[in-house]
Amino acid sequence: MTKERRQAVADIAAILAVFLAAWHLSTSVFKWLDPVLFPTPLAVARLFWTELPDMAKGLVSSAKLMGSAYLLALATGIPAGVVVGSSARLRNAVEPFSKVLGAVPPIVYIPYAIALLPSFPAASIFVIWSGAFWPVFVNTVSGVVTIPRNLLDSARMLHLGRFAFYWKVVLPGAMPSILTGASLGLVFSFLLLTAAELIGATEGLGWYVKNFSDFADYGRVVVGILFIGVVITALSAVFKLVERWLLRYREVGK
Amino acid sequence: MIACNDVSVAFGDKTVLSRVSLHVKRGEFLCLLGQSGCGKSTLLRTIAGLQAPTSGSVEVDGHAVSGPDRSCSVVFQDYSLFPWMTTGRNLLLALREEHPDKSKRELVALAESYLEMVGLGGAFDKYPDALSGGMRQRAAIARALGSQRPVLLMDEPLGALDPVNRTLLQNLLHALYRDSDGMRTVVFVTHDVEEALYLGTRIAVLGSSPGRVLALEENPVAPAVPRAERFRDPRVKALRERIMETYRVDVARRSNNDDLYTI
Repeated sequence: MTKERRQAVADIAAILAVFLAAWHLSTSVFKWLDPVLFPTPLAVARLFWTELPDMAKGLVSSAKLMGSAYLLALATGIPAGVVVGSSARLRNAVEPFSKVLGAVPPIVYIPYAIALLPSFPAASIFVIWSGAFWPVFVNTVSGVVTIPRNLLDSARMLHLGRFAFYWKVVLPGAMPSILTGASLGLVFSFLLLTAAELIGATEGLGWYVKNFSDFADYGRVVVGILFIGVVITALSAVFKLVERWLLRYREVGK
Repeated sequence: MIACNDVSVAFGDKTVLSRVSLHVKRGEFLCLLGQSGCGKSTLLRTIAGLQAPTSGSVEVDGHAVSGPDRSCSVVFQDYSLFPWMTTGRNLLLALREEHPDKSKRELVALAESYLEMVGLGGAFDKYPDALSGGMRQRAAIARALGSQRPVLLMDEPLGALDPVNRTLLQNLLHALYRDSDGMRTVVFVTHDVEEALYLGTRIAVLGSSPGRVLALEENPVAPAVPRAERFRDPRVKALRERIMETYRVDVARRSNNDDLYTI
């Protein structure tokens, strides 16, 4: 461990200790805060443990919704972006639409989507997809456009087949930008997932928090929020690993 | 081997090349020498079939060029190799096109032999980003040689290298060309007079606005003559002087005799 890293770990531990101490003192020892709104740290820790099975169930239900919507956004946004990015004519035709539609906050679709689509899962998949699609699509287009001309010309001189040209040159050439879009899309997906669940779900992580705040069970609310934080952190760590693997050719130069 | 007949290229209102006619014989090493922006790269891209001429025509190896041409391979100043593939995979991509009948194992051995030829033995599994600029250009040259096309087109391939690597790569190109028994035709774009005098068997001096051929010069010494001896030769010194004079006249024409533009 480098000196800078050791210092960071010590600082983080200190901040955490001060926070926990202040929380403990103000709830359990001096009881300054309303015990209904502010559960004690020990109670939260115990609840976190006992609630794990229920929250895991919520996680599975949320993951199903978000996973299918996010993968759908990648499966539509990347190919569409590659096709549109490869043609100046298509790019000019599509740009005004992606500007307007991409700028609409997808949260406003939620009530309409619930009314329009037959089930809550269908509605929330649509809303999550519409939030993740645009950043993926727009960044794929710009990734394709910014591939250096000499690389494309090299590929043209090699007379690669159509499939090899897109699979081995255009897609990896646009990959850094695609990953930027995919990571934005992932953040939007989670945001919209929880928003959709707060509004219309009967299970899932967002529903878990909403449900227990309706019953004023704020201990479980705090536990749910903490759990969501852990899930997002794990998710973005996995994303970083995938990103590093896909762009591993860049690390060797550093 | 290569014939440019009255080739003009314009981008919008700007004429980049104006009625260039140029013939390159099999086994020649022709240097296109000129200042930045004189259209020498555009001429090279037109020969490769990467740029369609606005008027005129290009023939390579007996056929009219109408798109990226299968008789030519190209080395650019940068981004010739795909950075997301190892050096070896970059070569395999070109070799597979040329030898569809060979097995994977044979192709790998062939790729390794080409890498060895340019002094890059052991770089097969390295990514381009892990190589120095000089090594990257060696690998790009190996890929171009591996594709075994009769015409090699090079667009300032050594333009981004430091002087030492530049000299080493010039020596490599010189040796590869000398040992090719007149089978390899090369068109080499450069703005460096010394580089052209060292490598070229013929030099086309290009002028700017619009780009056109100002002079076509034969190199008075044979390719076999080594560098030091070559630059001592009075005929090479005279040729250098003649090329600089050609530039002087062209620059003076464009600048209305302003002292600032005297070279």
